[in-house]
Amino acid sequence: MPNSEKSISSSAARKNLGHTLNEHRALAMLIFLFLGLSVFAPNFFSIYNFRTILTGASLSAICAVGFTIIFILGQLDLSIGAVLMLSGMLCIGLQPALGWTGSFLAAAGSGVMLGLVNGLLVSKAKINSFIVTLGTQIITFGLMHLYSDGGSKAVNDFRVADMLEREILWIFTPLSLITIAIVLLFALMMTRTRFGKGFFVVGGNSETAWLAGLNRDRYIIIGFIICDGLAAVGGALFAMKLASVTSYAILGNKTLLQVIAAVIIGGTLITGGKGDIVKSFLGVLVLISVNNGIGCFGLGFEVQMFVNGIILALVVLYEAYTVYRKNLLKGQRPNLLQELEKSKA
Amino acid sequence: MEKVPVLEMIQVRKAFVATLAVDNVDFTVYPGEVHALCGENGAGKSTLMKMLAGSFNDYTGEIKISGEPVNLHSPGDSIKKGIGMVYQELSLARPISIAENVLVGRLPVKNRLFLDKNAMIDKTRAILSKVGLEHLDPRIPISEISQHEAQLVEISKVMSNDPKILVMDEPTSALSRDEVELLFQLIDKLKKSGMAIIYISHHLPEVFRVADRVTVMRDGKKVDTKPVDAVTTADLVHMMVGESIDEFYAKRKGTAEEEVMLEVDHAVRYGFFHDISFQAKKGEILGIVGLAGAGRTELGRSICGIDPLDEGIVRIHGKNLKTGSYPRTIKSGMAYLTEDRKNDGLFLRLPAGENLYSSVIDEYCSLGIFSKSSTNSLVQYLVEKLNVVPPDVKQEVNSFSGGNQQKILLGKCLAMDPEVLILDEPTRGVDVGAKATIHDVVLELADKGMTIVLMSSDLPELVGLADRVIVMRHGHLIGEMYKEQLTEETALLAANGEGDVCDVCYTQY
Amino acid sequence: MPGKGEENSSRFNRNRQSMLGRFYDKAGIYVIAGILLVIGVFVSPNFLTGSNFMNILRAVALLGIASCGMAFVVYNGNLADLAIPSYMAFSGIITVAMLPWGLVPAIILGLLAGMLIGALNGLVIGKLDANPILWTLAVAYFMEGFMRFAWSNSQLYPDQILETSGKDTAIAEHFIAIFRTDIGPVPLIVVVMIAMFLILQFVFTRTKFGLQTKLVGSSREVARSTGVNVTKVILLNFIVTALCASIGGIFITSMNKLGVFYLGQGYDFKAVTAVVLGGMMQSGGKGSMLGVFGGVLVIGLMTNILTFMGVNTFQQNIVTGSIFILVVGIHQYQLRKQGKDYA
Repeated sequence: MPNSEKSISSSAARKNLGHTLNEHRALAMLIFLFLGLSVFAPNFFSIYNFRTILTGASLSAICAVGFTIIFILGQLDLSIGAVLMLSGMLCIGLQPALGWTGSFLAAAGSGVMLGLVNGLLVSKAKINSFIVTLGTQIITFGLMHLYSDGGSKAVNDFRVADMLEREILWIFTPLSLITIAIVLLFALMMTRTRFGKGFFVVGGNSETAWLAGLNRDRYIIIGFIICDGLAAVGGALFAMKLASVTSYAILGNKTLLQVIAAVIIGGTLITGGKGDIVKSFLGVLVLISVNNGIGCFGLGFEVQMFVNGIILALVVLYEAYTVYRKNLLKGQRPNLLQELEKSKA
Repeated sequence: MEKVPVLEMIQVRKAFVATLAVDNVDFTVYPGEVHALCGENGAGKSTLMKMLAGSFNDYTGEIKISGEPVNLHSPGDSIKKGIGMVYQELSLARPISIAENVLVGRLPVKNRLFLDKNAMIDKTRAILSKVGLEHLDPRIPISEISQHEAQLVEISKVMSNDPKILVMDEPTSALSRDEVELLFQLIDKLKKSGMAIIYISHHLPEVFRVADRVTVMRDGKKVDTKPVDAVTTADLVHMMVGESIDEFYAKRKGTAEEEVMLEVDHAVRYGFFHDISFQAKKGEILGIVGLAGAGRTELGRSICGIDPLDEGIVRIHGKNLKTGSYPRTIKSGMAYLTEDRKNDGLFLRLPAGENLYSSVIDEYCSLGIFSKSSTNSLVQYLVEKLNVVPPDVKQEVNSFSGGNQQKILLGKCLAMDPEVLILDEPTRGVDVGAKATIHDVVLELADKGMTIVLMSSDLPELVGLADRVIVMRHGHLIGEMYKEQLTEETALLAANGEGDVCDVCYTQY
Repeated sequence: MPGKGEENSSRFNRNRQSMLGRFYDKAGIYVIAGILLVIGVFVSPNFLTGSNFMNILRAVALLGIASCGMAFVVYNGNLADLAIPSYMAFSGIITVAMLPWGLVPAIILGLLAGMLIGALNGLVIGKLDANPILWTLAVAYFMEGFMRFAWSNSQLYPDQILETSGKDTAIAEHFIAIFRTDIGPVPLIVVVMIAMFLILQFVFTRTKFGLQTKLVGSSREVARSTGVNVTKVILLNFIVTALCASIGGIFITSMNKLGVFYLGQGYDFKAVTAVVLGGMMQSGGKGSMLGVFGGVLVIGLMTNILTFMGVNTFQQNIVTGSIFILVVGIHQYQLRKQGKDYA
């Protein structure tokens, strides 16, 4: 009798440990990676390299903030890749006419507008967000190509670019500090305000939200505005850092994939109602570190893609398997199981 | 009795495009009373309550709360006016925490902007303790707690708004007996504090246990309002059905043959049901009685191979069935009619005809090529036999009434022409006419030699149809009763764990 | 308890369902195709000629073949298969790499290679119910990485492969000729596309497999408790999808005269566009192959007309995207009016 109780409690403890580890899997992966790569990868462990990782994560991290909110709402936004490229293009293209501040605002504004369009189409016209954003992605890429005439845009003013990459406190740069500020700001909004909590309710069960008087449509529109607006901010900052953008779509598509992977690794559910912006940020750092580590071994882009794909696949697989198990055991009565263990013991 | 009524609905009316769901109903509730609302499915109870919950902005008539006329055009309006709704289907968001669910839309805030986490937890704890859930951690998500607990959380969530009027729509459907008793004590307490409670239930004993007055509705109209002391169960049933029910359940004379068709031997699915053994004979209707949560549905799904079976043997006609695959079970001659018509039963967006032959596509295929025209006679036969109205098989199933959907679901099983048919709640949520048709068909099938396993919460139905019942409780088989012993009362007692009323007692849990 | 009134109201609405809505369900996309034809006549005198039509068909043939595959996934309710470009590129690369074994074995191996990835997708999605978009995205990602890595970012030229293995380079010419073969006045690829549409239309409406796909697409849970082996059906669906895409992959490789990882990129989203334009519902179980063919045709006509009008590719994308959203929006609106809001 005491024996069986003990075995039950130990299995519960094991379950709890696994549960906690899964909850913080992005952090666990990041620590594991850092330790592993610091030991094994040549040149990985250096202040300079950490600064590179943090700064390099900026674009995907800023996009991941908005994307997490979209996932929490139970929606999908395929257009962010196109949005960030259009924004980057506008930021560089308008700089000579408007100056950096003006062109940055115009670029960010383009994202807000596209977010509004996406949000209205999803909430008011009630079209599946996958379809809507697929369409706006095509349109936005078209606009971007049209604006850049299929080529690239550049400015000769590198002051801002240099400024963004200046070293602060060893491992930071203004760019990475801006990124962290955005992440923390929105994380605070989502976890510590009534408004932010509303997103979880709308995504978790729209019936509950409706009964509580939360306006689902408004949340969805605001969600898309935040997501595409932030994608535009990320794209504009990225363009400012390089002082040039080319219209080759790979940047947008690669970022989209990386962001989706990071958000899933961070434990956000695509079905809505659950997610954490800080964990998504850690997810971005995991992927960027993996890529950086692969680079340290002298391996190329193709290995990065392969490994990133495998990581995403494993996480999706794991997630699907947990849900599958959970559904299979849904409604299982613990007291019956205890009886069984007792009778066997 | 010169109290001001807390709620007065005067000549309220709500029409849907083609039907008048609520037809000029007057409904009055006083503070400190429990007012039961009864009626068959589709009588308009739920529509009347949805009106109160602010689900419609186009009802006509007047609603007064504490004597003051109000417009209830949105859920927000109605919450503000002190109306709390406990829905039958839970309105909780599963991925988010209990605290956030309970306090949704009014999470405590400090410094004007930021949430006050400690206040959230404390408040939720206080609210939960009112329904006896103080042991739950408010921070865990709803998806981690049991169905029973979720139901109570839902009730506590509504009560935390301090409503003047509390509406409960079938609140006991997912609760165990002890929890129901706890709920009733809670209702008594709330009543004493002056709250008005509208209690919707199909379980008439519950009505007599908690209610002060009862209003019966039929076909969108109010039949009458009576003090509970002044009516009997038979009166209520008569008011609800509108016709005498004495002849309703045809008493069946057992004609079972000796040949054993279905044999289940020590079936186990860990945590769902344990060590279940029974036999059913050819032409027999074997009832399985048990309360919600007794494990009947799980047993049915597992022996058919829709869900896994961890241990045990199932034999059909003496031959061992390899479990774990429903297609194989069908080929061996056993079919299962699901209790959940909307999620597991019917392809709601496909036409009735396609639903009817969906389970036998195999049989109408030669070399993988399907011949649709050859299904016509089958579909026509089923539609006529089950009296599906309208008999338009090209219409989407979605557009049929609940009763006719259920007939189509039964038709889907009949199309397979099984030797053993497991019926799980075959008449849940259907009207009287459809119920009668389904019963006639079931009896006819048994007379023709089909073995039927009937799981039903509708006790008159179970008692009327079954030749023999086995009793399940908390996942165990606790007893067996034969026709002579079987009455609604004994069945209910047995289901509640009084195994000694059975003819044969197995284990006493 | 569902309100009886709601059921009645939807029944009533159904009877009143607008002519336009009903017509759209049946042939909507062909109405748009007809309008485009009329516009085309005004735009250019060369529009209404046989050779121009052949051009249009040739231009959309690859898209059509990829859409055939995508249609299966959408029809069974799995939203989209974003690994379609992987099937295309992988089957092409394998075919080219295997050319020394002879043309026919190489093609068969190429198709099998694509189907292998399809089987992987089908297994994971069918058995574990993984989110199809996320899973196929991950597969597309690591397949691209794998192809880049395994063939070290380089391109496989059929003649080089044959030369290095010391085989007759004539096989390379046969392979390259696949895309360029005409049957009478009609290019082989167009014949293949039309044949595929006809076969799949037959499969959808008349075979056990097609009917079961429809059931799974309408509701996986209900199909399961109707006795359909859902896992098997979804597995087969993805294998067929991969087969269709791999056929496209062989054509696109033959067209480009080389096998490389980036062939087929973009056909995932383009195929979704065509399938959805063709009236196949994302929720599954609705639509027909004839509709999808209409969707493909509309995209072809639109591109052709815009080219005649001198609109460049970028502007064409904007127009295509806008029309896509517009058509889906109108369709959605129609459905909602009929009370069939389930996209």
